[in-house]
Formats: sequence, C-alpha cells, structure tokens
Amino acid sequence: MSTVTRPEIRSSSRLPSKRTGAMARAPWILLAPFLALFILTFILPILVAVFSSFQKVTRLGLFGEQGTTSGFAWFANYSQALSDGNFIASIGRMFLFGIVQVPVMIVLATMLALLLESGAARWPGLFRAAYFLPYGVPGVIATILWSFLYIPGLSPLFDIAALVGLEPDFLGPNTVLWSIANIVTWSYTGYNMLIIVAQLKSIPVELYEAAKVDGAGPVRVALSIQLPLIKPALILTGVFSIIGTLQLFAEAQVLTTVAPSIDSQYTPNLSAYTTAFAYNDYNVAAAQAVLIALVAFALSFTFLTLSNRKSK
Amino acid sequence: MAQFTRRQLLGGGMSAAALALLTACASPGMTSVNSGALIPAAAGEKVTLTYWSWLKDLQKVADIFNRAHPNIEVRVSWIPQGNAGGYQKLYSALAAGAAPDLGQIELRTIPEFILVNGLVDLSRYGANEFAHLFDPTLWNQVSYTGGVYGIPQDSGPMAMFYQPAILEAAGAAAGTTPRTWDDWAALATALRGQNAYIDCFPLADSSVFASLATQAGAAWLRPEADGWVINMTDDATLNTARFFDAAIDEDLVETGFGAYSPAWFSAAASGSIASVVTGSWGDALVEGVGGGSGKWRVAPMPVWGETGYGSSYLGGSTAAVMASSRHPKEALEFAVWMTTSKEGIDALIENSGIGWSAAPGVVGSPREVPSEFFSGQSYNQDVFVPATQQQNADWSWWPVTQQSFNILSDGFRKKASGTSLVDSVATAEQQIMTVFRNKGLSIRKENA
Repeated sequence: MSTVTRPEIRSSSRLPSKRTGAMARAPWILLAPFLALFILTFILPILVAVFSSFQKVTRLGLFGEQGTTSGFAWFANYSQALSDGNFIASIGRMFLFGIVQVPVMIVLATMLALLLESGAARWPGLFRAAYFLPYGVPGVIATILWSFLYIPGLSPLFDIAALVGLEPDFLGPNTVLWSIANIVTWSYTGYNMLIIVAQLKSIPVELYEAAKVDGAGPVRVALSIQLPLIKPALILTGVFSIIGTLQLFAEAQVLTTVAPSIDSQYTPNLSAYTTAFAYNDYNVAAAQAVLIALVAFALSFTFLTLSNRKSK
Repeated sequence: MAQFTRRQLLGGGMSAAALALLTACASPGMTSVNSGALIPAAAGEKVTLTYWSWLKDLQKVADIFNRAHPNIEVRVSWIPQGNAGGYQKLYSALAAGAAPDLGQIELRTIPEFILVNGLVDLSRYGANEFAHLFDPTLWNQVSYTGGVYGIPQDSGPMAMFYQPAILEAAGAAAGTTPRTWDDWAALATALRGQNAYIDCFPLADSSVFASLATQAGAAWLRPEADGWVINMTDDATLNTARFFDAAIDEDLVETGFGAYSPAWFSAAASGSIASVVTGSWGDALVEGVGGGSGKWRVAPMPVWGETGYGSSYLGGSTAAVMASSRHPKEALEFAVWMTTSKEGIDALIENSGIGWSAAPGVVGSPREVPSEFFSGQSYNQDVFVPATQQQNADWSWWPVTQQSFNILSDGFRKKASGTSLVDSVATAEQQIMTVFRNKGLSIRKENA
C-alpha cells in the first residue's frame, strides 16, 4: 500500500468502517436470544447425550452400596444396545411400517391434492380444511379416539364386520402395527396433502393452458405436468415421513393400554424411553438415541440420493 | 494483548458452562445419602413436606395430619401411576436434585430406587421402632442390606371375585368356588361350554404370573453377602408355568386382553368373563362392571394342592423418603401416621380408595360394613383378613424388577407363536442375569 493513498483511505473509510463493525455485530446481537436457546436446548443436549452414551456405571455390592464408579466405556453401550434383540426388532418393525405406510400416505396425499386442485373440484376450500383437520388432533387424542374403534365389545366396527361375516382383530400381535399405521395415515395425510397443494398452486397457469391447447386431458396433465413439477414437495414429505416413522412414540405408547401385544420396546423411541426412565440406564438409552438418529440420517440421505439420481 | 475481547470472554464462559453441565450430567445417582451425616429433626420452625403420589384426594388425608401437627405441613402433588409416568418423573427429579420429600413407590420398585441412590435409609431415623406395627411380609419387602427404605402403605392380598350365577350354570355347586387350581381348570372347561371364560391370563403383565408363582412357594431372587442369587426354574415356578401353558393351549383362559381393560369390562358385564383372581383393590374396579351389583361375590383364591400358600400379594406400595429430602425425620413421622393411625387409614380408604392396609388386622371402618354390590357379603373380614395371614414371606424384590417383568412378558407374548411359558421363564432367567451384570451387579444361579 502506498503512503500517499493511506490518508485518503483513512479519511474516507473511517466512518464506514465503524459502521461495518456495528453492522457485523448487529446480526449476532439479534440472533443471540435464538442462539442461546438453540445451544442450550438443542446443541448441548445432543453433546450431553453423545457424551453420556460413552459412559458406564459399575457398582459394588447388592445395590452399589459399597461404591459406584462411572467411567469411559468406549462402545460398550452401543454393543449392548445392538445386541438387544428387541431394540433391533423395533427398528426392523419401523422399516416394515415405513415401507408400507409412507408410500400409502404419500400416494393418498398426492391423489387428494390433485383432485382438490383439479378444475372439477367442488368446494375445494372446505375439503382442504376437512382433510387437514385430523392433523390438528394431537397424536395421543387421535390414538385414544381410534382405540375405542379397535376394542371388541365397544366398537361398532365389529358389528358392521359381523354383518359381512368377518371377525377382525385390530389389536392382535400381527395386526396392531397396521392399526397404528391407520392412525398415523389418518393424522398426517392431510398435512402432507397441504404441502403438495402449495406446490401445485405455484405451477404457472401458462403450462396448463399450453397443455389444453395441445389437447391433453386431466390424467395427462396430472402425469406429465403436475407430478414432475411437485416432485420437490413429494421428496420433502417423503423425508419428513421417514423421520416421523422412526420417531413413532405416542401412538404405540397410548395403545399399550388396550393392546397387550405392544411391548415396552415396540418402537425405537419407546425402547430408548423405557431404557432411560423405567430401567434408569441413561447411558444405554443415550446410545440407543444416537443410533436412532444415525439410522434416520442414513435413511433420509439414501432417499434423497436415490430420488436425485432418478431425476437425471 | 493480554486482554480478552468480549466475544472471547463470552465464548470462554460458554464452553466452561458447557463443560460444567457435561460433568454435572455425567450419570445421575452416583452418590449415596445414606453414608452422610444424619439430618436432625427441625427445631421449632415450621417444616413443609412434599409428597408425590398417584392416590386421589390424598391432600384431604394430609390435611387431617396437618391440623394435628402445626409444625409440619404436608403438600401432596399428583403423579401418574408408577411406570405410567410417575416413576419417570421421580427419576428425573432425583437426577436433577429436585425430588419431593416423599414419593409413592411400589414395593417391587423399592430396590430400583435404591440402585440409583434415590431413597433414604429410614432405619437411621428410627424406623425399626415401628416395625411391629406392620405386616412382617411387607416389612421384609422394604428391608434390604440392614436398612429400611420405605413405609408400607398398602398391599393387595389376593382372592377370587366371581359371578355365582355363571359358575353355577357351568355346574359349580351353589355357593362354592374351586378350592384348588385343578378344580379351577375343570370349571374353566365347563364354562367354555357356556361360551364363557373363567378368567384372563395376562401375557402382557407378568406380575400376575409372579404373584401366582409366589403363592406356589417361589422366591425368584435373594440377596446374599456375595451378591444376588436367582432361581426362577424351581418346581413352584415351573409347575405354575406348566399349568397355565396347558390352560392357554386348551383355550381355558382369555389372552386377548387383561383384567380391567375396556374389553374386559365389556366381557365381564355380558357374562363372558366369569371371575377374576386379583388383589383386594380389585373390588373398586369390579364395582365398575356395568349392571354388576348383586351379581358378584368374593371367595378365597384356589390353592396349589398340598403345597404353597393360601394367598399371595398382588401390588402394594410404600411411602418412601427420597434422597433429596431435607426433613427425613418428619417425613417418616407422617408416613407412619398415615399408614398406622386409625384416622389416617380411614381417611385413606374414604378419600383415596387405597389398597389393603399394611397394618396387620386393621381393615378400616369404611370396609367393615357388608357390601351391597357384593351381594351383602362382608368379604373384607371373611376373605381378605385370612388371606393376609397366608402369605409367602420369603419373597424379596430386586433392583431390575420392571425390566425383569418386561423380559418375562416379552417371552409370554411369544406364546401365540408357540413358545411355552416354561421356556420363556428359563430364557428370562438368563436374560435377567445379563441385565444384572450389565448394571455391574453380581448374580449367580442357585446351586451353581
């Protein structure tokens, strides 16, 4: 830098430099309340959980009354979690659940959205609200409502089934998973539908007009224009649903009171909850929680990679 | 340049705080209050005690105590029952150092709270002076390693609630119930002809199975000087498992739902469930069966032939003093008053509908009148008082009871796919030993 220009820069940039300092600080100051809460309630708990998942408590005596020590355990908690057949089974159960329930729900949501956005739909606003309404019912309440429809002796569904000679068992060991899937589908189809509707509304009218000019019918419009253009929304709802499936908790937890076949480790989250708060083994529970997060991450990542590859 | 910028300071402070939090969060329940100094009784000033319990209207009971003890005020907070959320709340509060003075803890869960150093050893505060006021079987279930970790509050001596008309329709002589489990199975077979089940066998709640095995004489775990001793494959347990294996195979019991579930109430009201073998607290639940008034009676539960005991206990809870209590002496005083004084017991029955009194021979005035619902029977004196005197006193709980019951239930659920209860019990024993070892506790198999 030349000595000649220096004073010029100084004089011309003195004020602005002060202002840029303040401007650089401003976003941080404005973000501070958010960041503080974010770190305290999100980042820190994750760090604590990961830290805890590598700790192990050992005890002496019948209850540890002769001393308890806590130490670094490497992957002992992870191997204990992974060798727990019930925990692995719960993840497998959620895979099965997701493979069936997520596509059914997304297809249903897409069909509803396409129907509501088609020109022939009557009172689309009313139906949109009606389909979205179940999402406003909390999962626990939804499960209690449905559980009364699942209980033999109380539910009118059994009387109706008897008319056609069926004897359904909604809460049996092999059927209760699908009863939960039904509750989840009922709750979230409308929500996913709304995301897709929003994307449908952003499709330019010109495309529809061009399609009409070319003589495309409603089915052709749906397949060639709407579906390709709402793909981002479909991927988004897909990822949300995959993560939601792995985090299934409330529905299974509430149904245990009426379905003896739901055990304390029916879903991965239920398993971590039981390990932490019923068995008091926070360290293994932390390992389970980390594993659930890893599986959710891997699944979402795989899904995104696959759907991106297809589009090329 | 020795000065720190504000951001560096802030950052440094944050990471220090984070580190402190990390170390504080390490693993809760590492230190014991029972090796520390005794906390003396409060001198003069007024003491406020908190009690977390799932009994309803318990504050009304506490108010009676508060009126008589101007220096102590007991405040009750309601928590969900046991593993439905109450324990989860207590464990978290203990980990956070914010537990109440007293917590309602089931007898079977006492050792689990000892394991996390959650309870005060009340023998250090003179609890043994009151031992003679309590049922020895129950007192044994709160006493471990020379300490006393809770004051028995209620229990559930078992008996059989039944609908006489339905049993008689299946051929039972008027006014009789099966005396042995073999008679019970024979009657169950006859009831199947009437399209009714005699009872449920809860595959999802193995604590009922444990109580029936206890009646047969089992004592699954025993604390010894060198660690825990397990024996779940004794004759008493295996015979019980074999018996119910056969009952389920022959479709003599309902396994689709458990007692007191919505489906059970519906079945009991329609007469397709004829009876239920359960704890004394079942009376209030059976009274909830629609149109059941005058149709039910109570009889002693069936026995295992010549061996075993006349009855068993199902359920039962304590008032335990939590480790973070600053007034254990006063908390003990309240717990003893509530569970042994006449006004305490009567108020617990009237307001909270509590289970069977832990004080021997005490029924409680509201329970001493004949019951209209149970066909005018004075079943408490006639059936349950004798039942409390025919108990297996050798039974002891252990520090992973809930997990053990879950392991057992997980095995029982496989009954539908062909795994026998007998096999499940043997597998569960192995798994429970693994759980003990994972917790760092020593355990060995009996005679091995």
